[in-house]
Amino acid sequence: MSIALENVTKRYAGLVTVDGVTLEVEKGELFVLLGASGSGKSTVLRLIAGLIPPDDGVIRLDGKDLTHVRVQDRGVGFVFQNYSIFRHMTVAENIEFGLRIRGVRRSERAARRDELLDIVGLGGLGGRYENQMSGGQLQRVALARALAYKPNVLLLDEPFGALDVKIRAQLRQSLKDIQRSLGVTTILVTHDQEEAFELGMRIGVMDRGRLLEVGTPSNLYARPRSLYAAQFLGGGTVLVGQCTRDQVRLGPLTLPIPAEVPHEEGDRVRILIRPEQVSLVAAEPSPQTASLGRGEIVENNFSGPLRRLRVRLPPLPGVRQLMPAPAFGEEGVLLEATIPAHLDAPGPNPWVVLESWHILRQPTPRLLVCDEGEGIAPALEIARPLVVSLDAVATVLGVASDARRIDALRAALAERAAAAGLEAPAVRVRRGDPVTEIVSEQREGPYDFVVIGAGEVESRRGRREPPRLGEVLAGRIRTPLLLARGRPRRIEKILICTAVGEPGKSDIRAGGWLARRLGAGVTLLHVVRPGQTPLPMVPIHLERGVATLRELGVAGTHCMRTAESPVEGILGLLRESPHDLVVVGASAGGERITRQVLRQAGCSVLVVPLGSW
Amino acid sequence: MTKTPSALSAPRATVPVAIVLLVLLPLILMPLSAIFIFAFRGGADDFVRALSSRDAQFALRFSLLIAFATAAINAVFGTYTAYVLSRYRFRGKQPLGIVVNLPVAIPTVVVGTSLLLLWGPIGLLGRVLSPLGLQPMFAPAGVLLAHLFVTFPYMLGAVKPVLDEIEGTYEEAAYTIGASRWQAFRWVILPALKGGLFSGALLTFAHSLGEFGATVLVSGNLRLRTQTAPLYIFAQFEAGNVAAANAVAAVLATLSFVIFFFLLRYTERRGR
Repeated sequence: MSIALENVTKRYAGLVTVDGVTLEVEKGELFVLLGASGSGKSTVLRLIAGLIPPDDGVIRLDGKDLTHVRVQDRGVGFVFQNYSIFRHMTVAENIEFGLRIRGVRRSERAARRDELLDIVGLGGLGGRYENQMSGGQLQRVALARALAYKPNVLLLDEPFGALDVKIRAQLRQSLKDIQRSLGVTTILVTHDQEEAFELGMRIGVMDRGRLLEVGTPSNLYARPRSLYAAQFLGGGTVLVGQCTRDQVRLGPLTLPIPAEVPHEEGDRVRILIRPEQVSLVAAEPSPQTASLGRGEIVENNFSGPLRRLRVRLPPLPGVRQLMPAPAFGEEGVLLEATIPAHLDAPGPNPWVVLESWHILRQPTPRLLVCDEGEGIAPALEIARPLVVSLDAVATVLGVASDARRIDALRAALAERAAAAGLEAPAVRVRRGDPVTEIVSEQREGPYDFVVIGAGEVESRRGRREPPRLGEVLAGRIRTPLLLARGRPRRIEKILICTAVGEPGKSDIRAGGWLARRLGAGVTLLHVVRPGQTPLPMVPIHLERGVATLRELGVAGTHCMRTAESPVEGILGLLRESPHDLVVVGASAGGERITRQVLRQAGCSVLVVPLGSW
Repeated sequence: MTKTPSALSAPRATVPVAIVLLVLLPLILMPLSAIFIFAFRGGADDFVRALSSRDAQFALRFSLLIAFATAAINAVFGTYTAYVLSRYRFRGKQPLGIVVNLPVAIPTVVVGTSLLLLWGPIGLLGRVLSPLGLQPMFAPAGVLLAHLFVTFPYMLGAVKPVLDEIEGTYEEAAYTIGASRWQAFRWVILPALKGGLFSGALLTFAHSLGEFGATVLVSGNLRLRTQTAPLYIFAQFEAGNVAAANAVAAVLATLSFVIFFFLLRYTERRGR
């Protein structure tokens, strides 16, 4: 029977453990759900079995809606990691239990039991008790017991997790054979990549409650879409290069970007290089090969058939390393490579040549939109055009002060999001202090932007209400933080206040990235104190900034203003020529600037933390 | 497994053992033997005669009946309570866990008093029930109530640890196989509880057999109606009828030995 999950969500104590999972498993398929512990994979299995009810979504078996059918009536076979063999029954009685419950006659039961004992390779052991069998045998009994009443689907929750490597391999093979011969639709949950590769006709990779991608083992290995899947299945090296004219620049190399990977000029493109795709040669390779230059072997580990090497390359301009995670303060690129163990490494300083590589999909930007559930909703209103123009996914977050308000807040958030025109966003509610919870959500979640309302600009005799929550968050959120003010219109003009030097780069990049997708124009501003001559690099820096924008395809101008403080300069420029968004860096001085701009300017502010972009 | 020689198993155990015996002798062993010595002092005939008196017969039978009933009823209630406490998560679970174990800590005389204050003729509920002709106090029902109260924690204490040890997946396995909640309990949980139920029932039985403090208050100590064996012993002693008291005491002591023997055998087997 086929299994279908549509947008299934499960929460425990306000935490989402399964987040909108949609999945279809075909009749007779052996599907593997792969993920780290806590990824929600076992919860998915328990939801299918009916051991727990979903909070949202539909579960179908063979097209029939089973969401509200009791576990007893679903006809699923479930195998638990801890076997859960009934201790006071013999093996035979365990296997017959399901048939006895269903009132099957004794002779029929015995025939089926003997058949199953043979299938799982335990013929003649029916009279034994649990404590007389090994772990591997017990799991075979559990399998036979789950198959006894011919279930529609077979669900296995880390069935081999508690067994040693050798037994595991045997059991895997048995399971595969049994599954093939019976043709029963099967879902197996595991955290073991090898197990997933060996057993799965298809594999689904789960992370933090979400089903990231689904594919055949070879496809997932060779062409993963997400960084997480690349990392979880196989590992290797992931480097980030910059996209120029349908190619990605990776140090001395330019690699073509395949048509199926959508990309835009200036995008950061992630390139996955599996260890076996790296070849190390002693002699300088010909110019036709994709050589990254000469490296140094820093690690050399024997691991049976293969030798695992790590090769350090000198820093490649414009290239950043994502995987393996670079150690703090380390420069250069670290590549993982494997060679057959019987070969020696070609000297301590081999040339590094890429035999092949894979370009990962651009990640969908994810917005975390914080809303209070009442009053004006500037964050939700600014989120809608962002979602459309960035092709982003929004998650709406609310923070409830106590548990009783959680459900009401969730309902209010969904309603307000719909009213603001956000189509079916994920809604999350956390409980506790807003600052702490928003910061935790950002750090735990895969978000690229955080959006929050910055309160009303209330002019009372020139004094303005301090928008405190946003201010406090500005120093703590590690992604760019968009503080939405008032009723934001379309963002057409962006003002980027730039300092000189490294700290100013993230804000230009982030602002430029937004500007390109929003189709907005950019003004780069640098403020000089009266009587102070600007440093000689300032004009160069501004020119470079405009050039960066031009490369991104954004029309940009720059200007220098003389004012007592940066804030004065920004406010002065805003008075002369209104902008819709001010971008500031969240460096040491930037926090103060942010606070003052927020309090005194009538437009939204994007705070870009150092190095976040 | 071979024993590793250590200071603990050193051969010079004579002195410590002697000290323990010296302490135990007047505390436990001598009083116990005194019962049997006194019971049989007048010969076996006297013993049998003392036992076959109508009052003694009634007291012993009534005690056994109450003990059986208490064990049976508390087996059901105690197991159910243990199941609820072990399997469900709910508000007030911790206080409930304390309340159900409270009877061990309360003096039995206080239990008797509290029952009288609730069910007695002027009690909170008794006042309403009395005009309807329902009067549980000073009647066998009152004795049963007192015994259920006093022995409740023993069943719970024997069953709950066993239940806690059974993983949740055990029942879930039964559910996925097709068993209803009741079927899972009946065929999967209950058989696993057999040992706990057995020892819990024995403990309850033993305590019920010897219960005195609460019984003396709620029963009114009416001979041939609510007089249990311990009450009979007490009454006979008071009346100076030492032989009669001793005969029944010897029977109670023997019963306790037998029960204790079974419990010991059982726990030893589990321990192995």
